[in-house]
Amino acid sequence: MSPEFIIKRFFYLLVTAIIVSMIVFAVTQLLPANAATMILGEYATEEALLALNAKLGLDQPAWVQYWQWFSGVLQGDFGISLRTGQAVGPVILSAFGNSAILAVFSLVLVSLISIPLGVIAASRRGRPLDLGVSLISYLGVSMPEFVLATLLLAWLASPAIALFPASGYVPFATDPLAALHHITLPVLTLTIVLTAHVSRMVRSEMVDTLESDFVRAARLRGVPKRRILFKHALRNSMLPAITVIALDIGYLIGGVIVVEEVFSFPGVGRQLILAIQNRDLPMLQAGALLMAVTYAVANLLADLAYALLDKRIQFK
Amino acid sequence: MSFPQFNRRQFLLSGAALGVSALGLPVTSAIAATPGGTLRVGLNITPNKLNPMLARVNSEYMLGEMLYSGLTTLATDMSAQPDLAIEWSSNEDATQWRFVLRENAQFSNGDPVTSNDVVASFTKLLDPETSAPGRRNLGPIKNVEADGDFAVIFDTETPFSDLPVGLTYPTAKILPASLIIESFEGFDQTPVGSGPFRLVDFKPDQVVVVEKNPDYFLPEQPLLDRVEIRTFPDASSAAAAMLAGEIDLLNEVQPTDFERVANGQGIDGLVTPSGRFLDIVMDNSKPPFNDKRVREALSLSIDREAMVELVAEGYGTPGNDSPVNGAYRYYKESSLKSFDPDRAKALLAEAGYPDGLELELVASVKPGYRSSMAVVVREMAKASGFDISVKTMDHPTYLDQVWKKGQFYVGYYNMQPTEGTIFNLLFTSDASWNETKWNNEAFDALVAEADRTTDTAKRAELYAQAQQMMSDEVPAIVPCFFDLLGAKASYVEGYTQHPRGASYGFHKVSLSKSAPTR
Repeated sequence: MSPEFIIKRFFYLLVTAIIVSMIVFAVTQLLPANAATMILGEYATEEALLALNAKLGLDQPAWVQYWQWFSGVLQGDFGISLRTGQAVGPVILSAFGNSAILAVFSLVLVSLISIPLGVIAASRRGRPLDLGVSLISYLGVSMPEFVLATLLLAWLASPAIALFPASGYVPFATDPLAALHHITLPVLTLTIVLTAHVSRMVRSEMVDTLESDFVRAARLRGVPKRRILFKHALRNSMLPAITVIALDIGYLIGGVIVVEEVFSFPGVGRQLILAIQNRDLPMLQAGALLMAVTYAVANLLADLAYALLDKRIQFK
Repeated sequence: MSFPQFNRRQFLLSGAALGVSALGLPVTSAIAATPGGTLRVGLNITPNKLNPMLARVNSEYMLGEMLYSGLTTLATDMSAQPDLAIEWSSNEDATQWRFVLRENAQFSNGDPVTSNDVVASFTKLLDPETSAPGRRNLGPIKNVEADGDFAVIFDTETPFSDLPVGLTYPTAKILPASLIIESFEGFDQTPVGSGPFRLVDFKPDQVVVVEKNPDYFLPEQPLLDRVEIRTFPDASSAAAAMLAGEIDLLNEVQPTDFERVANGQGIDGLVTPSGRFLDIVMDNSKPPFNDKRVREALSLSIDREAMVELVAEGYGTPGNDSPVNGAYRYYKESSLKSFDPDRAKALLAEAGYPDGLELELVASVKPGYRSSMAVVVREMAKASGFDISVKTMDHPTYLDQVWKKGQFYVGYYNMQPTEGTIFNLLFTSDASWNETKWNNEAFDALVAEADRTTDTAKRAELYAQAQQMMSDEVPAIVPCFFDLLGAKASYVEGYTQHPRGASYGFHKVSLSKSAPTR
């Protein structure tokens, strides 16, 4: 892996981020109502709207507004939220930290559960265990997060059972146990949905690999079955699994937004939804940018992981 | 000035209390309150900024009331009660008012609250540049000036006997004069007020924490040590948190959730009749609604009793196309308009639509029952030949493109403190939100005269005529009023739901000994 490769990928990442910010900006220009309309709400008069638009700089041409925002970002200033008047940077970063907790816990759990599940299903192909895993996976894949989240909420957080809190968030720094207690249901929702996805992918890759010549050769040489499964086949099936997990980061980000809304969890998703509802452009831009960069970085990391797992792959 | 000893609203309230206890929900009795403890309140509308003069939603009104004081506050019978002002009086024709301030009030920065601050606050509030909501709801104030350190004099353009009530408007709070000039923007994040509580933490999208103000001007109040206000994305998740015991008080429960919440263990449901209503707004200046017969036909197509059942789940009262109901002081009872599709059909034919009329009714999705009402109207009006299609849209688009501009849509309004306020807000020709463009001069004259009149009996008569006129002319259809629905844990004491929906009185709330210790 050459330094040029990393520099090149980093450059692509930058271009992606800029294009995303342009698209988000352009889309908000097309939406009816702006931040001034939303701030004044049902109290808007013509004069009040004009005055507030001028105060917020919303009366300027779109490209001027975009340039002002962009030059601010270059200097590390993400602007002031039009809705609350707070600086966007710290608010979105703290929200991002909260979302990252959900995402990281879910990803780790997904990897720990779905890979062994896929391997077992593939090695018992066609048998009841495989059918069971497949059936559960199908259910998981076809169940949207908002349905699953609401079901879990209505069941495990109901007053009768009340195993977990229905909403809210406690920082890990204050009380780690309470923090875990609060993130259980959101993480569970994300994990169930993603596990279904990833384990199905691992299973089908494993099935292919188990039928390939080198596995048959190993089996003929008398290599123990367990060793074939985990040493030979799994390592070769890991590449597609990593691709799926990396691509699923996009899916995970979408899931995080839904889950945060259902469980009133203060992450980037809730900030984004509030920003859209209130046409809070600086907050929306920062949130979208953060998500796009996260996705791009995750894919970059996946590519790097390839090279580590498979010595034949070299990036130039 | 005088206040009636007994009025309809109190009668209704006591009636409602009886009704509630008959349903098996306990009615808390007054016992000596225990001070201390933390109250957890749930909200489903995020407060954005803390400046009380710019407050626009109920959650911001709630914080404004906790952190600041006004001159007067609104009692549940819609009368003005002392806050920073301890007494007031007017000249004979109610054009000049003198308010005497208490001398023991101080801001959280230690400065005393004086007439200077009151004058500066009202000057700022009335300045169009401030674009404060409710600027035009206070009354026809011409001038405010200090009369010594602890009295202020208000002059009004026209006689206005409701001024003490007008000044209870939730944005009319007193801020320190020095800071209004130096850094008015600063109030968005940093409150400096004389309210019963002080700000500890403000994370608008998660939680707002306030603690007892030890220097509050009322002795032994507030009773609570702390209040935590948590925000939820929507009414249903707030209701779920109430059921799960994560909050102690919820001041807004949707009619569809109410029964489930009120039946929860250790939870008391709160039902308060109110003047909050949904209306079908019609543009009276353009065809087809410039023809009174069309408006009347639609009015006759609505089964009002059924509407209360279907849209308010029974927690409401039917309306007669006037925005005033029993929750107001000068409500004039009249027999309920009947559901008469045959007569409606005849009126439509007379108006030139013998084959019916095709219309598009717009409803925002916030709050949810706007679109429910639109759908019910569509179905009810079918019988009289109205072919209505319902178009729902998200709230920002509605505000931008339909509200005050559309020809046919569902409006949603909170109860106002007086008849004059609601008429002048929506239905007079120079109303702030003259969405119906009814522009009826006789009605304008009637309302203006009632606003000026100090004689209670005369006012009652004038407002009764105004209500009758709306019912006859149908500038808008007001099919039903909504009760305010809320819920509290049984150990929360001293909380009274306010019919106006924008006043809370947390300084009087306490937790009983049976409250869980946290």
